[in-house]
Amino acid sequence: MAQPILEIDDLVTGYGRTQVLWGVTLALNEGERIGLFGPNGHGKSTLLKTVSGLLKPWRGAIRLNGESIGGVQPRAVVDRGLIHVPQGNVLFPQLTVVENLRLGAYARRARAEREPNLARVFELFPRLAERRRQLSRTLSGGERQMLAIGVGLMGAPKLLMLDEPTLGLAPKLKDELLDAIGKISRVGVPLVLVEQDVEFLVALTDRLYMINHGAVALDIASTDRLDHGEIMQMYFGKG
Amino acid sequence: MATAQSVFLSGIVLGSLYAMMATGLSLVWTTLGIFNFAHGIFMAVGALVAWQVGTDLGWGLGPAAGLAIGVAVLVGIGFLSELVVVRPFLARRDVVLIAVITTLSASIFFENGTLLIWGARYKQLEPLIPGKVDLLSTAISAHEVLIIVIAPLTLVLLWLFLKFTRIGSAIRAVSQNRESALLMGMNVSLLYSSAFALSAGLAGLSGILLGSVRFITPSLGAEPLVKALIVAIFGGLGSLGGTIGAAYVIGLLEAISVYFIGLYWTPALLFGVMILVLLVRPTGLFGRKG
Repeated sequence: MAQPILEIDDLVTGYGRTQVLWGVTLALNEGERIGLFGPNGHGKSTLLKTVSGLLKPWRGAIRLNGESIGGVQPRAVVDRGLIHVPQGNVLFPQLTVVENLRLGAYARRARAEREPNLARVFELFPRLAERRRQLSRTLSGGERQMLAIGVGLMGAPKLLMLDEPTLGLAPKLKDELLDAIGKISRVGVPLVLVEQDVEFLVALTDRLYMINHGAVALDIASTDRLDHGEIMQMYFGKG
Repeated sequence: MATAQSVFLSGIVLGSLYAMMATGLSLVWTTLGIFNFAHGIFMAVGALVAWQVGTDLGWGLGPAAGLAIGVAVLVGIGFLSELVVVRPFLARRDVVLIAVITTLSASIFFENGTLLIWGARYKQLEPLIPGKVDLLSTAISAHEVLIIVIAPLTLVLLWLFLKFTRIGSAIRAVSQNRESALLMGMNVSLLYSSAFALSAGLAGLSGILLGSVRFITPSLGAEPLVKALIVAIFGGLGSLGGTIGAAYVIGLLEAISVYFIGLYWTPALLFGVMILVLLVRPTGLFGRKG
């Protein structure tokens, strides 16, 4: 089998003295989209932050295309094409939509493709094109989420990690984002998607990992039919 | 009538200097979230370097060379100062307080350094343009006219830089959201040093312009720094336009007050006005809410 794009091996980390991850092991293969779900506060966001270099791993390995990236600067991770769109991202509230997007292509490797990518983002999210001159703090929650994903795309990702892109959004907006993320992954961008909503994940990913107590509790193919009861059981244990 | 005009002009000159100084302070405050108390001594160092390079008592290369090299040296000093007195403490939660202490220490270090190198004798720079000019039927030195012209010009250039260049937008961005800046691949540390260097360059320029109006001592910048602090707070911290507007308001107010009330009570009046404004508008005169 080919080498995985992203490989996380027995990763342990936390904040200060508080340990959050207790040995996470997972892999993302070529052309694959994986989903992470599980209860709040069990380490999903922490995992993404460690991969993107915001947090240093205490132990364990992170490899991108076979190269170790554990503990390097965020900008070295971005330079390798791994883009992390964090949760509840407010971006740069006092900058306009188009300024935010252009800064998304700050990394050297994304700069050459900046204007074509900008056109692509506006095509994907026409609403951002309409609001391009507005300060981003004036956007609605859904539009902000679109902007956050758009900024991620401006970085010309070879691997995109989205942290709860639908947090707190109305169902209609959720569908819109589901559409957009589907389009992104269909052009072949591998995806790591964190979500509470398992149905959303099933629609967009090939494989699911459940993160519980800072470790992978379950590794399942999204094509397996999951019913509501099973998910409840995963969250809360057998009643 | 002539009095009103000369008071007005003197206010505009003061306002121009305050605008440049306060903008430098404000740039560091918005980007790094700290106050740089060495900003005043940076003015004096700028003036002294320009004196060394430019005047016949120094190397005699002329006022223009003095100005250029003085500003360049200050940009370098700013860059290094950030590295030494700010960078090591940026990750700490009490960085605001620590930076007060470290930048004050830097200021004392530079003060005594300048005394060691240049001695305690008062110095003065030649005016960049000699002679007098008639403006608003008032005789005013050409150098002061230059100050009135250079300050807005510099600030417009600064604005263009922050608005339209890659590094400039990144400096604005990093002040608004450090984590996002990191995730976009920005070199946040380099942006911090650049902002600090730029701010020191502005301080140097103001010092050099002031150095041929007043005598150069290590405390050349001390009193303007206090005014610039008033301006920055008065204008609403972090808003560039607000800071510049406030600088001219304070400059004019000071000129009027010096003429009618006298030099002695003017600082008290300015502080009084600042307190009044903050009571009514806690975010400053032109500051945004939240």
